[in-house]
Amino acid sequence: MKRLGLVLMVVVFMITAFPVFSGGQAETVVESKQTMVIYNSMNGDPEPRRVDEALVAEFETENSDIEVVHSIIAHEDFKTAIRAYLTASTPPDVLTWFAGNRARFFIDKGLIMDISDVWESEGWNDSYAKGWQAMSSVDGKQYFLPTSWYWWAVYYRPSVFEKYGLTEPQTWDELMNVCETLVDNGIAPFTIGTKYRWTAAAWFDYLNMRINGPEFHINLMLGKESYADDRVKDVFEKWGMMIEKGYFIENPAAYSWAEAIPFMADESAGMYLMGDFIRDSVPATISDDIDFFRFPIIDASIPVGEDAPTDGYFIAANSQNPEEAKKLLAKFGSKAAQEFNASELGRLPTNGDVDTSMFNASQQKGIDMINSSDFVAQFYDRDTTPEMADEGMNAFMEFWDNHSAADIDRICGRLEEVRQEVFAQ
Amino acid sequence: MGKTKKAKLYNPWAPWLFLAVPLLIYLVWVIGPMLYTFFLSLTKWDGLSAPSFIGIKNYRKLFDDPVFFISLKNNFVWIAFFITIPVILGLALAMALNRDIRGSKIFKALFYSPMVLSLVVCGLIWSWLYNPTQGLFNAVLEAVGLEHMAQGWLSDPTYALGSVITVAIWRQVGYVMILYLAGLQSVDPFLVEASLIDGANKWQSFVHVILPQLRPMTVVVVVISIIDSLRAFDLVSVMTRGGPYNRTSVLANFMYIESFNNYKMGYGAAISVILFMISLIFIIFYLRVVMQEEN
Repeated sequence: MKRLGLVLMVVVFMITAFPVFSGGQAETVVESKQTMVIYNSMNGDPEPRRVDEALVAEFETENSDIEVVHSIIAHEDFKTAIRAYLTASTPPDVLTWFAGNRARFFIDKGLIMDISDVWESEGWNDSYAKGWQAMSSVDGKQYFLPTSWYWWAVYYRPSVFEKYGLTEPQTWDELMNVCETLVDNGIAPFTIGTKYRWTAAAWFDYLNMRINGPEFHINLMLGKESYADDRVKDVFEKWGMMIEKGYFIENPAAYSWAEAIPFMADESAGMYLMGDFIRDSVPATISDDIDFFRFPIIDASIPVGEDAPTDGYFIAANSQNPEEAKKLLAKFGSKAAQEFNASELGRLPTNGDVDTSMFNASQQKGIDMINSSDFVAQFYDRDTTPEMADEGMNAFMEFWDNHSAADIDRICGRLEEVRQEVFAQ
Repeated sequence: MGKTKKAKLYNPWAPWLFLAVPLLIYLVWVIGPMLYTFFLSLTKWDGLSAPSFIGIKNYRKLFDDPVFFISLKNNFVWIAFFITIPVILGLALAMALNRDIRGSKIFKALFYSPMVLSLVVCGLIWSWLYNPTQGLFNAVLEAVGLEHMAQGWLSDPTYALGSVITVAIWRQVGYVMILYLAGLQSVDPFLVEASLIDGANKWQSFVHVILPQLRPMTVVVVVISIIDSLRAFDLVSVMTRGGPYNRTSVLANFMYIESFNNYKMGYGAAISVILFMISLIFIIFYLRVVMQEEN
């Protein structure tokens, strides 16, 4: 008993003393006159994490007097925690985030620092295309640094298509033929992992843009159109028909987006509607056997819209180390960093100085696809409000299991109620 | 003489002095945030700007929200399973292992071991077991020719809640067993022996002699199980996040999603307050039982 007491005392001592000791450590850093910058990123997947860490290491070598306190937080957790970060008295200085509406929200609340001076001194006003500048500016001042973007498309394995005599479908009818052939051969046409729901939102985005046009889609995202509209019901009807015909794998809600990839590797599924980051997670055995095509056109008379989300960085308004933070941002926005990012991960750079000859065939194909589209959306949960997105994605999950005409009416009715409430304010 | 000396040594402030530190901590970290939550539940707050007072609007909305009722119902389903299956199994294990047979200690340790794992770890392990294509359960079902019973355990709205509660039960059984093993120490062996001599069979002696003596422990076990059911969060959050489409949502998870995913802090606070009220009923009941026993 006595010994147990002793052990307990030691444990308690260690637990309570730990912060004291680590506090001491922090002090020695100050003594060595290093300055620091706190950088929180959400590059949780293995490949992006490696590239992220490599860039930070490079920055530290170039700036030996600056220590980067770098934390990588899992994607979903980061999105939850960011409000706490930004309202803290000592927030992280540099953060990764989504360009567009999701950044605008924080800019309007005064939580993002004006970095017009960095744009100016780094010459980004000349090297970044007008579209990127507009995306980063409010009232003529720059707050955001978009650094990379990627496209969404239907990914497939050319070897599997070849085996069944299939070619890339351009139209809806062609896509349906491909699906029929695959089903006849015992292959689920599409794999999808909807555990975290957003993968289903891509289907909604694309079907809505292809059936009703990008203008209607974006207005729906902004709360200006009704979810009870017959045009939205058309989307669910087409989608429901695909589910009903067995065009998707079984039990998609049991898998995360990446856990659904192996079905392509073992040829039990044929295609995956996904962002280009799918390449980070494709098993090495099939990484040379992956290609993509534009989501097929349903109505040739309407403009073509694509999802091409843009990611980037900003500095917190309360940053305690603004000078160091700006240096780090300058690094991320530089031609060298973006070229590194593009060659390692295949993400597309925003800096116009990047040598376009370095792009591989796949990247060039992606760029051409986006350049030849009429409208670029970000993504369902980036284009609409978080609350609407949450309800919407829940509705997609419910719809997945219940897609009769009556179910669709009920689900659209409920979404419309939510829309009116969310956008009333 | 001795008495007066003692009285002089007794300082009426001493207990308060010793209590001051823990009370202060309790006030700052428990009571304070609790009162703040009550306040927040009457506001609309996005976590960034200042909260704005909106009265009982959050509560009105809550009682109009289907997800609230699904979550509430799921909490009660959870309670119903939790106060029956683990209690019966735990008691049975305690009875079986409460003697000096070889290896009983090992079995006790084995049955208790899931309790040592954090709920998050349990949730992850079971998520893999439940995996429809790679998981153990479907693999076994397919191996014995029962493919038609293979399910998407966590993705099928019919089975998802049951699949999650199963994990909670698996973990809880060992805990209940330990509680009953402790309770069995206070069962008078002479009474049991006397009943057997008087011609009762083992079952009669269990029902009429042992069980009544375990009654106080049973009350503790049931109330703890109810409170644990109301606190259910970790497993749901790790295994399904409340999905598919809220079918496995419980109040704590619903609160988390609304507050930290949808940034409706006021609404989330209102859910917390309701959850607190429900818990309070059982906690008061529990405290009364415990107090009565101490008296």
